[in-house]
Amino acid sequence: MSHDHDHDHEHSATSPTAPTKRIISRAHLQSFLDSPTHQDLVNFLEELNESVVGHKLTEEVKESEAVKSLLDVLGEVEQTVKDTPPVDNGKSRFGNPAFQTFYDRIAEKAKKLHESIPGLPEDRIDELSTYFCESWGNRTRVDYGSGMELNFICWLLCLRKLGVIEKEDDRALVSRVFWKYMTVARLLQTEYWLEPAGSHGAQGLDDYHFAVFIFGSAQLRGHKHLRPKAIHDNDILEEFSKDYMYLSYVQYINSIKTASLRWHSPMLDDISGVKTWDKLNSGMLKMYKAEVLAKLPVAQHFLFGSLLPYPASADTLEAEPEAGVTKDEHGHIHVRGEGFGDCCGIPIPSAFAAAEDLRKREAAGAIRRIPFD
Amino acid sequence: MSSISSLDRQIQQLKDCQPISEQQVKELCLKAREILVEEANVQWIDSPVTICGDIHGQFWDLLELFKVGGMCPDTNYLFLGDYVDRGFYSVETFLLLLALKVRYPDRITLIRGNHESRQITQVYGFYDECLRKFGSASVWRYCCEVFDYLSLGAVVDGKVFCVHGGLSPNVTSLDQIRLIDRKQEVPHDGAMCDLLWSDPDDIEGWGLSPRGAGYLFGADIVKTFAHANNLDLIARAHQLVMEGHKLMFDDLIVTVWSAPNYCYRCGNVASILELDENLNPTYRSFDAATQDTRGIPAKSTALQYFL
Repeated sequence: MSHDHDHDHEHSATSPTAPTKRIISRAHLQSFLDSPTHQDLVNFLEELNESVVGHKLTEEVKESEAVKSLLDVLGEVEQTVKDTPPVDNGKSRFGNPAFQTFYDRIAEKAKKLHESIPGLPEDRIDELSTYFCESWGNRTRVDYGSGMELNFICWLLCLRKLGVIEKEDDRALVSRVFWKYMTVARLLQTEYWLEPAGSHGAQGLDDYHFAVFIFGSAQLRGHKHLRPKAIHDNDILEEFSKDYMYLSYVQYINSIKTASLRWHSPMLDDISGVKTWDKLNSGMLKMYKAEVLAKLPVAQHFLFGSLLPYPASADTLEAEPEAGVTKDEHGHIHVRGEGFGDCCGIPIPSAFAAAEDLRKREAAGAIRRIPFD
Repeated sequence: MSSISSLDRQIQQLKDCQPISEQQVKELCLKAREILVEEANVQWIDSPVTICGDIHGQFWDLLELFKVGGMCPDTNYLFLGDYVDRGFYSVETFLLLLALKVRYPDRITLIRGNHESRQITQVYGFYDECLRKFGSASVWRYCCEVFDYLSLGAVVDGKVFCVHGGLSPNVTSLDQIRLIDRKQEVPHDGAMCDLLWSDPDDIEGWGLSPRGAGYLFGADIVKTFAHANNLDLIARAHQLVMEGHKLMFDDLIVTVWSAPNYCYRCGNVASILELDENLNPTYRSFDAATQDTRGIPAKSTALQYFL
């Protein structure tokens, strides 16, 4: 992270901007993957990952004033969920429209909540609020996926870049702040029946989360007795879920799904055959980089601002649609053969239609960014 | 006739959840197209008939459905689409239904769901499953060619309109559906798209669909459409309902869902709708197959990261 300080200077010199989506083609994605922003994100994830190796949730951990304030903010979000009960949705779609009320309430409170975080410059609040608000789900589609979880991590990274939180806070960030976030996100999913964004049903790792498997497996690295196959032992899950996020989350998945793990989560089941937590943890990190950060259908929603800047070199890229990449009427990109293709089950127009649409919008002088639907 | 006995053998093989050979798939799909091309956009069906909703590759649960509803040809079936994607056995599921269609064309009707599409199946699993099970995309391609020939809807005794998704602002009468040239990939807007994508909702008139395709439509739309077309009921699928079926708008429209414990995880029951010769409805619900009757799904591809 030695080069980080340079970035910090660079960022603090940049004036705040509202985060927007910028990735609209494989070329843009590649620029992102090569960018300092991507490197910072990966470094941050790895640093958080390392901070909890061998540490239980139940262990004491120093909570700085900043960490305490973040926990209070998350507590406030939790309270907002409780104050916004699901409405009678008997005749309507699957997700509960009360989520939209919740979302609006959080958006309204965002400024005040951010003001309670010590050391956060006021002119950065709007920028951070965008990541914060998008951490809870999509307002239009009433769904939630690993993209929202990523926004939360981006929010933490921004706080880190601003010096609000520091390296010493890492372990508390994972075992307190992130874990609290998971609790609130789960509450949202169960209260409002948030649909899993882009779920592949039984073909995916999990309907909603990913990072919990990274940090969770890090905690278990080097454990004297527990092995990855322990997730099949209900007694072990029962006894250790208070200590370990991975086991706690598997126990939670088991509790909401009815068939056996082999059926509802075959990927997790397969992964439990990995011999060591070390292997499992490094695999989860690799998989996250490949399946979340490097997949166009997910990465197109990545929000760039002044703290997580879009690479300047990519601004000049031609926005030509490529073979196999198509865009739907939501402006979402779909790539043939790449999983996680889709957020809402939309039909996908041809590349020609996308090209035509792009030409029209460019002719009209519209900004070439992916609209958030 | 040797072709019938060979078809019967294939049906038996598929009932055991064993895929048939690529050459057999090719021939089956050709025969299916010859039959389907003769069917109307809105296929007329005589009662009694048993109407089934989404299956999504849940093969063992489809066998449960047949246990509850009776086997084809003893029972006359209408399936409302979404045979493939998300489950583990889209190939076996679709091919079994297709083989039954070719063997007993007058005893089973298959209409098109929004997942019977090249674009959707490339994202939600059917394409990958074909590659994994046959080593090439040929089987997927043959199946997609069949998708293009599936009817868009059906009408039972002229009184019950059946469709995968719902209504369209571009369609006020059943005759307008008959004018569509259906033999194509599902377009991303227009009447054909809407029929496969729309959802009834507790709104007035038409609304934007959060799915990004099709529309939401309210009770007033359903009442007007039913009245104009002299219908007693609209039966559709497309949305998971935890209880297996859901009646809305003074029982004028029903959602039928036939994939129990959807995605092996939603915990819902499934149901089928039996209409007798007087169109009296009976809903029969069923649960997912017990685990010992199912095979073990194949290993996932995620393991590459953990080597």
